[in-house]
Amino acid sequence: MNQDYQKALTYLRKMLGEKAVFRDGQWETIDMIANRKKKALLVQRTGWGKSLVYFLATKLLREQDSGPTLLISPLLSLMRNQITMAERIGVAAETINCENLDQWKQVENNLMTDKCDILLVSPERLNNENFQRALLPVISAKVGLLVVDEAHCISDWGHDFRPDYRRIIRIIHYLPKGVPVLGTTATANNRVVEDIKSQLGDDLLVIRGPLVRTSLRLQNITIRSRADRLAWLAQNINKFPGSGIIYCLTVHDTKLVAGWLQKNNIEAVAYYGGVENREELECGLQKNEFKALVATVALGMGFDKPDLGFVIHFQRPGSVIAYYQQVGRAGRALDRSYGILLNGDEDDEIQEYFIKTAFPPIAVTQDIVSALEKSEGMTINQLLSKVNVSFSMAEKALKLLEIESVVQKEKDKYYRTANPWRPDIERIEKVTLQRELELQQMKDYVGYSGCLMEFLERALDDIWPKPCGICSNCKKKGLSAEVHEHLHVKACDYISNWPVEIKPKTRLPVGVLLEGRGVSLRDLKIKPGRALCYYGDSGWGKLVQKGKYEDNYFSDKLVGASADLIVNKWNFDAKAPKWITAIPSRRRPELVYNFAGRLGKVLNLPFVPVFDRFAEAPEQKGMQNSAMQARNVLNSLKIIKEPLADPVLLVDDIRDSGWTLTIAGKLLVESGCEIVFPFTLASTSKG
Amino acid sequence: MISEDSKAIILLCTRMVLDKNSEVQPFTLSEWNALAKKIASSNYQRPGSLFGETMEGLVEGLQISTDQAARTVHLLGFARRLGFEFERLESTGIWIITRADKDYPQKYKERLKEKSPAVLFGVGEKTLLNQAGVAIVGSRNITENEQSFAEMIGNSAAYNGMVVFSGGARGVDITAMKNAIEGRGCSVGLLADSLERAIRKPEYRRALLNGDMALISPYGTNTGFSVGAAMGRNKLIYGLADYAVVVSSDHKKGGTWAGAIEAMKYKWLPVFVRQHEQMPLGNQALIQMGGIELPDPLPVAVKDLKKWMDEQKEVWQESSILSTNFKQGSLF
Repeated sequence: MNQDYQKALTYLRKMLGEKAVFRDGQWETIDMIANRKKKALLVQRTGWGKSLVYFLATKLLREQDSGPTLLISPLLSLMRNQITMAERIGVAAETINCENLDQWKQVENNLMTDKCDILLVSPERLNNENFQRALLPVISAKVGLLVVDEAHCISDWGHDFRPDYRRIIRIIHYLPKGVPVLGTTATANNRVVEDIKSQLGDDLLVIRGPLVRTSLRLQNITIRSRADRLAWLAQNINKFPGSGIIYCLTVHDTKLVAGWLQKNNIEAVAYYGGVENREELECGLQKNEFKALVATVALGMGFDKPDLGFVIHFQRPGSVIAYYQQVGRAGRALDRSYGILLNGDEDDEIQEYFIKTAFPPIAVTQDIVSALEKSEGMTINQLLSKVNVSFSMAEKALKLLEIESVVQKEKDKYYRTANPWRPDIERIEKVTLQRELELQQMKDYVGYSGCLMEFLERALDDIWPKPCGICSNCKKKGLSAEVHEHLHVKACDYISNWPVEIKPKTRLPVGVLLEGRGVSLRDLKIKPGRALCYYGDSGWGKLVQKGKYEDNYFSDKLVGASADLIVNKWNFDAKAPKWITAIPSRRRPELVYNFAGRLGKVLNLPFVPVFDRFAEAPEQKGMQNSAMQARNVLNSLKIIKEPLADPVLLVDDIRDSGWTLTIAGKLLVESGCEIVFPFTLASTSKG
Repeated sequence: MISEDSKAIILLCTRMVLDKNSEVQPFTLSEWNALAKKIASSNYQRPGSLFGETMEGLVEGLQISTDQAARTVHLLGFARRLGFEFERLESTGIWIITRADKDYPQKYKERLKEKSPAVLFGVGEKTLLNQAGVAIVGSRNITENEQSFAEMIGNSAAYNGMVVFSGGARGVDITAMKNAIEGRGCSVGLLADSLERAIRKPEYRRALLNGDMALISPYGTNTGFSVGAAMGRNKLIYGLADYAVVVSSDHKKGGTWAGAIEAMKYKWLPVFVRQHEQMPLGNQALIQMGGIELPDPLPVAVKDLKKWMDEQKEVWQESSILSTNFKQGSLF
């Protein structure tokens, strides 16, 4: 033991420098895995050195002639630094991801010839068919240690449960006896730890360290309107040291906030799942190239910047654990760092939406299963033409079904397996209830008057919760919620001028055929359109909602704002519309026509109705995917009067899927209209 | 959970986890039978005890050549791969049984003896394999009369609570199985090709999910791996059943003919042959060689079919010597 310890210490110093020593728990865990071949769960805060534990354990195991380590982690892209560190002690790491398909053969060779010490794989990759066929047999034949990073994702109770992790559990059960397993996480309360234990086996040893951050100054500030929160940011952000992260709940908000800060000469960029240059942005933040990265949770686990000056939440996260994981990124290596939680009116609505859509509705899943049951395999698009469900919801449902072995994916087709299925209603209800409790706890945190850090520690079942002495409640002072009047006005103006673009559709969904000339949508001259606002947003959004569902009349304010947008903020490239037409509705025949007529008067353009509904189709918003939406419009809309040839402004009240506007535009163009510019009062889709 | 014995048999007798171009081949059925006997009479007793054994140990303990011992050790060395492969198969709904399993069809051991496949891959309701039933076999290309007879027999079997065993081929097979299911009965299909492909067919799916059907194959689950020495599929169909019905057979050729001849020769079960004025030459010949006439139309009401067949079976049994019983576990 002593000898082993000395050896491990030597390696540690090779990695970190001459004076390095083990932190409490590091050596104990290494010893447990490498020498005693146990299963262990390491609960330690980010930056504690969890990766060090598995790199050193791998080194020691390899010296005992064990096979390579299989590391399953969702954060491979962020591990470059650690990998370089491991190379210092001769631990060779290989990564498998979707970008290095061409290197798989090489990786396979290195595994066969025993040149690879640790293979890093994402959970999604683990479920990938090619990986399972090509590499899994090779590595599984000799795996010496299995590491599951971010192990809280195993637990249903975790705020960040990932279905791919369920597969990992099954694989662990099939591992030969005597293969050590290490799970690591920075955020797991007792409940989650117990759940992980029940899934990985009671012989799992739990090593838990304190999660508290001693330099982090917490404050909660309630500011109801988005505009005032924007104003607050502009007013206060330069008071915080260094660079930081501003977390938002939606992609739309990241763009909104980043745009606003830029307008106020503050270096800020938006960061979200689909953003193009993700790596570049992370790097930029590392190097303090901008003041703030305005991010969704896509900037997630594992992002490690020890000198992050602040973490501000523009909106309130859904659970204390999620919040702690995000705010905990601030100031690991600083004497002073800030965690500010802003929250406002829209938070509840967004969170409830998240909870509601966390699981696909059971009826939808049932429809998907029975559609697949009747087929010999379908792509997701084929499925969408049969089942009324949105693409993202279908994807979510299929993912869950795949993990439950009800559905199998091969290439891009889904097949029903021969395993029986019944919806796990109990589990869904259990988890939904848990999410609601977590949300309530988060609301309690916002209103808490005691020490904020202590509240978080208790919620995380930390070992010694005690008052921090530095949060705004302990100090009884903090930043003011007040904003300057001029910033308030500017922010309101910014939000109401935020352009809401309606992108023209270029492709019909699979399974929907257009009759007649078969003009491809791409060739139609439907221009990008505009909406006045997002539906339900504070400002115009609320007025639209009121007009549609309370007054059955869109106010003059909306007419004025629309005219202002069309005249002053929309560049028509000298082909400005010469007349207006609108989408008819049988349900509310007056509403849109009346609005379009008044808009025409202000703009001095003639309003000419040309459409009719020949059947009252189900409401478009009830259609959940593009195949259903397009078909629904095709079945109900027709032209009854020849349109003018001049460019036209095509008006509707709310844009949901965009298919109504697309099909109407197509009908107009086919009847001889030159150019179509869609305009709606509100758009429901964000991002 | 899969037993250690089964794991060993799968590793030794299939290509399931072997590399595609592996130079070392799995044991053929006859090679395995020879080895199995040695294991049973050695101190190892069970195949599962071979794990972790060295080459030298096996030479000594089993009295086999170094080549055989090296091959055994090499094949067993892939044990760690099994977990992932089992998980993968399980996730598609496929299960595996070996001769060492309790669920393995006892009738195979009794009738086919050492020719029983060492490993069976299957999907659907496992317990159907050991239930009483009737094998319904015949050609792929059938006349309208034969088609309706196959329908009627499939349906009557369901009505009389007998599982229909068949081959899943077009013609008589599919007709009989389909009508058994439609008559609220059960059926077992012995497939000659990929199970994984069969699972994806919508026509089987409902029945598989409802537990009214099982599909099995000795040939592995996809083209990549197949059991070393697989035997004719017809034997496997007769092997599971208590009665056989030949709807139509070619004369002196084809699987139906060969299977029926074999079943009669070894007296596995009574073989009924459809008797009709327009029956093919094969049927006539089989009747002459000892097949029991099954008149079309039936001599009794559908509800009495089983009773009638049992009466015929008794007569047949008096002239037959039944195969010796194997004890469970005496052949793995």
